[in-house]
Amino acid sequence: MVLSRLTSLLRNLLDQQRQERELDREVRTYELLLADEKIRAGMSPCEAHRQARLELGGVEQVKEQVREMRAGHLLETLWQDLRFGLRMLRKNLAFTLLAVLALALGVGASSVMFSAVDSILLRPLPYRSADRLVVILNHGRGPIAPANYVDWKAQSKSFETMGAAEYWTPDLTGVDRPSRLWALRMTSDILPMLGVPAMLGRFFAKEEEQGGHEYEVVLSYGLWQRQFGGDPGVLGRQISLDGKSYAIVGVMPAGFKFAPFWATKAELWAPLALGPRATQRGGNSLRIFARLAPGVGLADARAELATTTARLEQQYPGTNRDAQVVPLKEKVVGRIRPALLTMQLAVAFVLLIACANVAHMLLARGAARAGEVAVRSALGAGRLRLLQQFLAESLILATAGGILGLLLAAGGIRALVVFGPADVPRVDNVSLDWRVTLFTLSVSTLTGVIFGLAPARRAARIDPAESLKEGGRSGDSTARHRTRSLLVVTEFALALMLLAGAGLMLRTLLALQAIDPGFDPHNVLTMVVSTSGSLVSAPGHSDGFYHEMLDQVRAVPSVVSAGLTNHVPLAGDIWGYPFWIEGQSIPAPGDEPDAAYRLVFPGYFKTMAMPILRGRPIEDSDTATAPHVVVINEYLARRYWPDQDPIGKRFTLDNPAKVAAKKLNWLTVVGVVKNVVRSDWTALPEEEIFLPYSQNAGVGPYMTLVARTSIDPSPSAEPIENAIWSVDRDVTISEVQTMSAVIARANSQARFDAVLLATFAAVALVMSAVGIYGVMTYAVARRRHEIGVRMALGASRANVLANILREGMALALAGSVSGILGGLILSRLMATLLYGVRPGDPLTFGGAAALLAIVALAACYVPARDATHVDPVVALRHE
Amino acid sequence: MSPDQTNLLQGTLDMMILKALALSEMHGLGISRRIEQITQGTFQVKPGSLFPALHRMEEQGWLVSHWGESDNSRRAKYYKLTSAGRRQLEAETRRWGRIALAITRTLEAS
Repeated sequence: MVLSRLTSLLRNLLDQQRQERELDREVRTYELLLADEKIRAGMSPCEAHRQARLELGGVEQVKEQVREMRAGHLLETLWQDLRFGLRMLRKNLAFTLLAVLALALGVGASSVMFSAVDSILLRPLPYRSADRLVVILNHGRGPIAPANYVDWKAQSKSFETMGAAEYWTPDLTGVDRPSRLWALRMTSDILPMLGVPAMLGRFFAKEEEQGGHEYEVVLSYGLWQRQFGGDPGVLGRQISLDGKSYAIVGVMPAGFKFAPFWATKAELWAPLALGPRATQRGGNSLRIFARLAPGVGLADARAELATTTARLEQQYPGTNRDAQVVPLKEKVVGRIRPALLTMQLAVAFVLLIACANVAHMLLARGAARAGEVAVRSALGAGRLRLLQQFLAESLILATAGGILGLLLAAGGIRALVVFGPADVPRVDNVSLDWRVTLFTLSVSTLTGVIFGLAPARRAARIDPAESLKEGGRSGDSTARHRTRSLLVVTEFALALMLLAGAGLMLRTLLALQAIDPGFDPHNVLTMVVSTSGSLVSAPGHSDGFYHEMLDQVRAVPSVVSAGLTNHVPLAGDIWGYPFWIEGQSIPAPGDEPDAAYRLVFPGYFKTMAMPILRGRPIEDSDTATAPHVVVINEYLARRYWPDQDPIGKRFTLDNPAKVAAKKLNWLTVVGVVKNVVRSDWTALPEEEIFLPYSQNAGVGPYMTLVARTSIDPSPSAEPIENAIWSVDRDVTISEVQTMSAVIARANSQARFDAVLLATFAAVALVMSAVGIYGVMTYAVARRRHEIGVRMALGASRANVLANILREGMALALAGSVSGILGGLILSRLMATLLYGVRPGDPLTFGGAAALLAIVALAACYVPARDATHVDPVVALRHE
Repeated sequence: MSPDQTNLLQGTLDMMILKALALSEMHGLGISRRIEQITQGTFQVKPGSLFPALHRMEEQGWLVSHWGESDNSRRAKYYKLTSAGRRQLEAETRRWGRIALAITRTLEAS
């Protein structure tokens, strides 16, 4: 029996034409025989044939019933439906492309963003039980003094292990190309605490924390590959860092990174020997990493640390303040979370709008095809068969949209990594997540199926005869129109929220760009020059080296002026120092005024174009032997000498409680400069002091060169580097970048957010416009008759136009109002992303609503104008 | 309609067609009329049920068909039982007998 079924299947598929012919003949013969019978019974031939046809119930229906039962029927019709579906879609190319594009955009954008959220925010950090790792920082962000770390480690019980790490940028010399490396010095607890085993060799041991034994290093995989060609025999070899010899004891596996939120470029880890520093309560330089002890919660650890620090503050006034325990992952991703969540919401909106739009198109087509459906069911297409056919079309659309969406997503992920804002944590880990992709694909497919089946479902309910008589105006078109109106309102609400979000970000970007950095960043090149690996770093030599180097740099033809500082604004660290003002009472420990501290060479202010408001800048005459001077910023001047001329005032960086009065080093204020942005573009100004390097030589092992050029600064980098190396070949040069690039990076997050949201909003705007246009076109077509009657009864064209526009604008308005309400609530999520504009900013929301209204008006105008061209005679006769 | 019921009715229609064809080969209308005649008009088989059933039974190998001439010289498709069809009729008859007996007993039980 199986065999006979199988041969039938083959026959059905292979010899279809003959089969069809025979079937037709068989059924028609039946009808003829039936008529013969009736004629024999005395009926007139004409009446007999009519009766026979009625009794048969339609030749085509009977044939279709036979076909449905045949072997391979499902396969065959599915194939037919797919072919037919493709043909229909090709016939309506504009519709198809729009629908596929909308789906692809929705699927692609959401896949990228949801994957990013998953990889960046949700996945645990790549360490063992990473959720138990915490960091302890000053105010949750700043470093800690060594003695505090030593005390906490000894006195806390909440932590299984605790270790400290310190930023280190050693010069690697004795190799072909000396370079400055990013590295961390850290206590021996940290690497084992992370639970990532070394790929080669071992970690350093506790003993190496003793001063004089710290000359061992663990390499990153990347450095091992780059510098040693992946040589497995590298263990035990010596490398020269800052002129000292270090033994390589281990290599970490590929992909290992530490620390995840700061010094992320570190590719070398060495032991931290605190030595005499272990008792220092100033000089904050350590980041503390710890693992919570089993059974200890974050709240417990926080409470315990608070108790410990409060006790220690009693003992050592002015220290141990505001240390905070922060989960490591929170520290890594906390900053990016609001932006990612905002974007996630935005893409979800885009996906929804895309689905709504596809639903529109399918419903509109369904309406247009009501006639076709009626004809097909009159010709014997069964209900299931109709469903199957519409399903096939929807599936083709959804599949095409899905595939294109996946391609977009794959490209989008790469784009996110390449064009994404600077310093997004873990961005290189972002990969397309198949669960996310599956989800977005399902959403789009479901939309296609639900709305694509609507015409078939209706067809199953309505009587083909009625539908054909009515000329395609099926009975429940009002319900469909309501569905579509609801879709338009939803689209407009979502579009308004996206527009408002984009508007808020654009205004943020404008506000950020309007910030006066306090210097002129154009045509300024910066680079870090380190002397750690050179003989010139010896005491008493660096000042001379830097002066000679500056002379050489200034001799480069394109260089207009040049100067040096320890850290340029926005890049590098900020070193804070307490100070004591002459003639004022000595404040309690910990309450001293505090200033950011910068060392500069003459020419720095001029090169940066920082305006001197009073007095003079640092000059060549401020040598080591001259009276010690200082230039202060406007903020410090206003704060401590509000009504006086600060020039000639004196303060000291020495602690009067510890240094004898006679030995205090008094600094005389000789100039006031305009406030300059510091490490954070949007931070309010704070106290800042500028000291001549010559009077404070030997403070840092590296300085940052700033050079103003007459033309685009980038090509000058090479001649400047050569000029520096002409003085000493052993210095390293790193972080070559223009000041404009530094500023661009500082604002890259806001710019990226703005561009992305604006793109989403534009897509939403176009889709909503298409949506409302479709609905209004359909509404006009549906009401052609009514409009004809109105015009016949004397309604003017203006009346008709206003009428249609009013209907469209009512939808747009309803959408906008819901969007404003939703947006007012949701924009609060963005609060931390915004600058210079409040989340519920009325101007932005008003602007978004106005823009949306204009677009809606334009989209409604075309169908409304068409309505005015309705010729009453034609419209009425048409019925 | 639950699947069991459908099967019962389909099985019944199959059985009646097989029975109708047990004596001689026939065309579609002939089969309809024969069933009407046997059941004295209780069952009237509509073409919408008859043709799908005939084609299905042919695919299952119970029937074979060929084109022949009708009484009033029209070319019609004639169906004939195969040996598999005969076996099927016997099986159906036995099954029906069992069901009828069971139902009768159920109804007579007090």
